[in-house]
Amino acid sequence: MNFGMVGRILGTLLLIEALILAVPLLVSVVYGETAASAFAWSIVITAAAGLVLTRIKPGSDTIKAREGLLIVTLGWAAAAVFGALPFFFARAVPTFIDALFECTSGLTTTGATIINDPEALPRGILFWRSFSHWLGGMGILVFTLALLPAIGVGGMQIYKAEAPGPSADKLVPRLANTAQLLYTVYLGLTVLAVLALVCAGVPLFDAVLLGFGAVGTGGFTPYSTPIGSVGGSAVPWALAVLMILAGVNFSLYYELWRRRWSSLGSNSELKVYLGITVLSAALVTMNLVRSLQYGWGDAAKHALFQVSSIITTTGYSTADYSQWPEFSKAVLFMLLFVGGSAGSTAGGIKVIRLMVAAKLVGREVRRMLHSQALVPVTINGRVVPQETVASIASFVFLYLGLFVAGTLLVALAGTDLFTSASAAAATLGNVGVGFGLVGPGNSFSFFSGPVKLLLTVLMLVGRLEMFTVLVIFTPGFWRQA
Amino acid sequence: MRIFIAGAGKLGYKVAEALSRNGHDITVVDTDDQALQRVNNNLDVLTAKGNAAQLQILEQFNMERTSVVLAVTDSDETNILICQMAKELGCARAAARVRDPAYAKQIDFFSRRFGIDFIINPDQEVAKEIGRYLVQGGAIHVEQFAQGRVGLVEYSVSLRPELAGRMLCELDVFHGLLVVAVSRDGEIIIPHGSTQLAGKDVLYLIGKTPDLKAFAGDGEPWPQRLLPRNVMILGGGNAGFYLARHLQELGAAVKIIEQDEARCAYLAENLRNVLVIHGDGSDHDLLEEENLSQMDALVTLTGLDEENLLLALLGKQRGIGRVVAKVSRSNFISLIEQLGIDRAVNPVLISAAAIIRFIQGGQIASLSLLFGGQAEVVEIIVTEASQVVGVTLADLNLPQGMIVGAIVRGSQVTIPRGDSVIRPGDRVVVFCLAALVNQLERLFYRPRGGFLRELWHGRKDSGNPSAD
Repeated sequence: MNFGMVGRILGTLLLIEALILAVPLLVSVVYGETAASAFAWSIVITAAAGLVLTRIKPGSDTIKAREGLLIVTLGWAAAAVFGALPFFFARAVPTFIDALFECTSGLTTTGATIINDPEALPRGILFWRSFSHWLGGMGILVFTLALLPAIGVGGMQIYKAEAPGPSADKLVPRLANTAQLLYTVYLGLTVLAVLALVCAGVPLFDAVLLGFGAVGTGGFTPYSTPIGSVGGSAVPWALAVLMILAGVNFSLYYELWRRRWSSLGSNSELKVYLGITVLSAALVTMNLVRSLQYGWGDAAKHALFQVSSIITTTGYSTADYSQWPEFSKAVLFMLLFVGGSAGSTAGGIKVIRLMVAAKLVGREVRRMLHSQALVPVTINGRVVPQETVASIASFVFLYLGLFVAGTLLVALAGTDLFTSASAAAATLGNVGVGFGLVGPGNSFSFFSGPVKLLLTVLMLVGRLEMFTVLVIFTPGFWRQA
Repeated sequence: MRIFIAGAGKLGYKVAEALSRNGHDITVVDTDDQALQRVNNNLDVLTAKGNAAQLQILEQFNMERTSVVLAVTDSDETNILICQMAKELGCARAAARVRDPAYAKQIDFFSRRFGIDFIINPDQEVAKEIGRYLVQGGAIHVEQFAQGRVGLVEYSVSLRPELAGRMLCELDVFHGLLVVAVSRDGEIIIPHGSTQLAGKDVLYLIGKTPDLKAFAGDGEPWPQRLLPRNVMILGGGNAGFYLARHLQELGAAVKIIEQDEARCAYLAENLRNVLVIHGDGSDHDLLEEENLSQMDALVTLTGLDEENLLLALLGKQRGIGRVVAKVSRSNFISLIEQLGIDRAVNPVLISAAAIIRFIQGGQIASLSLLFGGQAEVVEIIVTEASQVVGVTLADLNLPQGMIVGAIVRGSQVTIPRGDSVIRPGDRVVVFCLAALVNQLERLFYRPRGGFLRELWHGRKDSGNPSAD
């Protein structure tokens, strides 16, 4: 294990975080808030830690898979701890665990909050909360890679460990350029989001916060109530479209820009993702019209918004869907697990993994009939290698296992089953909103400290797609040989 | 530069490795998942699975914006086809590996009619290299730079036993030459004045070509240091074929031992005045019968590295003066020098160096890979923006393991000292350990570092973690 290099990259990451914290500091100063000093102190502490770590002189500059995994896990943990400082210093939350929960929820684009009335918070803090969604959405280490090509080949190990989805593909030969391209797409989408929201009548500051949350598929809002009262009637539609766009594999936007239309048409994950979204929205619409006597237009608006918010693991809401009929709730609960496409900012299991798992089941069924048949699992007409299929199957299994374990542990604290299950699913899938006590408009503040810590870990484990974090807790990881 | 490489075998990998280190954008295409995985894990390049001769693949990677297409799959015909298609689709330059001797005479035709700019035949390169070694004797002319004005020579201390045991600073035999590296038991030593030479060391010297000739010439270990009279070649593959023909033309008596009867028939038919023997090269009785111990030189060129090494050792044990083995895996090279085999020739490294020279033609004018790729000697044309311009070498504080061996200004060659200054437009010949190639690039090509570089290195200069 090359600890020198791990420390050095973590130090660089912290220096970058210190620089990034200057943005909310600026916001605080512009609005003349006292929270500015909280940011100033956080910057000093983060920069100091970063400087100490970057002084390390590594023996060699090679980064292998092990170092990559450790850098990513520790990097996220460190970013969350230091990013939590402003919340704590500004007294926005009562304890440091709350601050850590809030910041992890931000960086992992979960959007589960423990703040009951965000309207009372300083604007700098609100900005930092939503900005952390934007940073975490594409990956804080991908951000580091985009800025520091010097990491070189080892960067691929980091990229792989952080990338959302079963395989990490580069768009262009150099990793640093790939990271820069991804961030360009991301930035473009964010600007588009803010413009669209401003055009729909949202005030600029709120539009920026909602834009960060939608494009990063986070879910923090500056309101204590569901979105819907802010801006014109076009706002829910605009946000729904933006969330759906953020749940698409970002490399497809690059293909679009290169005018390779065919790769868009032949992408089966995109088709299935859009298919699930439209089908679920249609089902919920019909259910709402029949049971609650909604008008068709109204029902469609709420249904599409809620479905796209949950499938992309954003967690915004326009209505309190806890009051919806059971069938609609069931559809939304299922969607907590789906997640968007691989290579997007969404969390969850991801559509492509579900497709592979479904095809695996189909294969087993066929093999019941033809025991000698060779049935490859194919995606986009290409055979998925056997190892990838196996790793996806175990991913899905582990995901459900962690969901069950999380539910049990939350229920142990005495919470009702529906709340426990949806809290575990909402944090593991980085959705941030569930049912019951953690339903829309509610906060996670009533949980006890240990449960908050557990949910914080679930968020991190879910964002880093489990294996990256879990492997660090195996003895084999630390063995020298 | 955007470079497209078809084939992720040993050669494709080596070229991709060297070129990506030098900052090019590289795409590697192969049909084999495992080969691609290896590339993906170790190099910062883009990989894609598929047959590069498919129009779809070539179009996907936009040949019009590609500077060089390099086809090094295991089939000559596929390589030629890929290059032809890539040219047709608008790529600037194309290079192919073509091995079959049957095509050797139509290389010109391929270049003219198909537009393939560069064709590499590793077997022929290997034969040339071995031929050069056998004919020249002790000092091996590794490479020429600056249109032949500067040379790099590999020189064994055993040729001048009086040098052994002395420190470099005591010796005054290296007039105008720079000892850039010493290879001892397969390890590279970056020498300084107090480095003591050992009897089995191999020195790497850079200097003006006439000075090198003078130095290597008066070493003259063997008066008969001309052509070996009797040469035995084990393995009658393509490299063996080219080598036998070359040596025979120079007047040596050449014996080839080859296992495959049909191949023997082919060799006998196509080589005049060469004795072709059908038999197993690892059969001692056969080797004795063919007077192994009476040979002046033994060259092992079978397809297996292990067999080549063992047979070469056998040759050495029988007291053959010069023994050469072909070894395709570069990580064995350091081992071989320890074993006492005179020279190991690696077709992959030789071909890779030739291809890189072709591809980088402009800025890096010349390049050779040493010690199995652990070090490079490059010729660089220095631009105005480079950090090394206008500073004395002493003040540059180059890292240990990076040595400026010669500065060529117009037609004037200088072997630099601490107070030498590099000016824009100079060609410099630099010896550099592979681990430092990144820094080499940074120093010689890129403008002075900015803020992020400072952030990365935690200080203002270009950074050199290994020097302190």
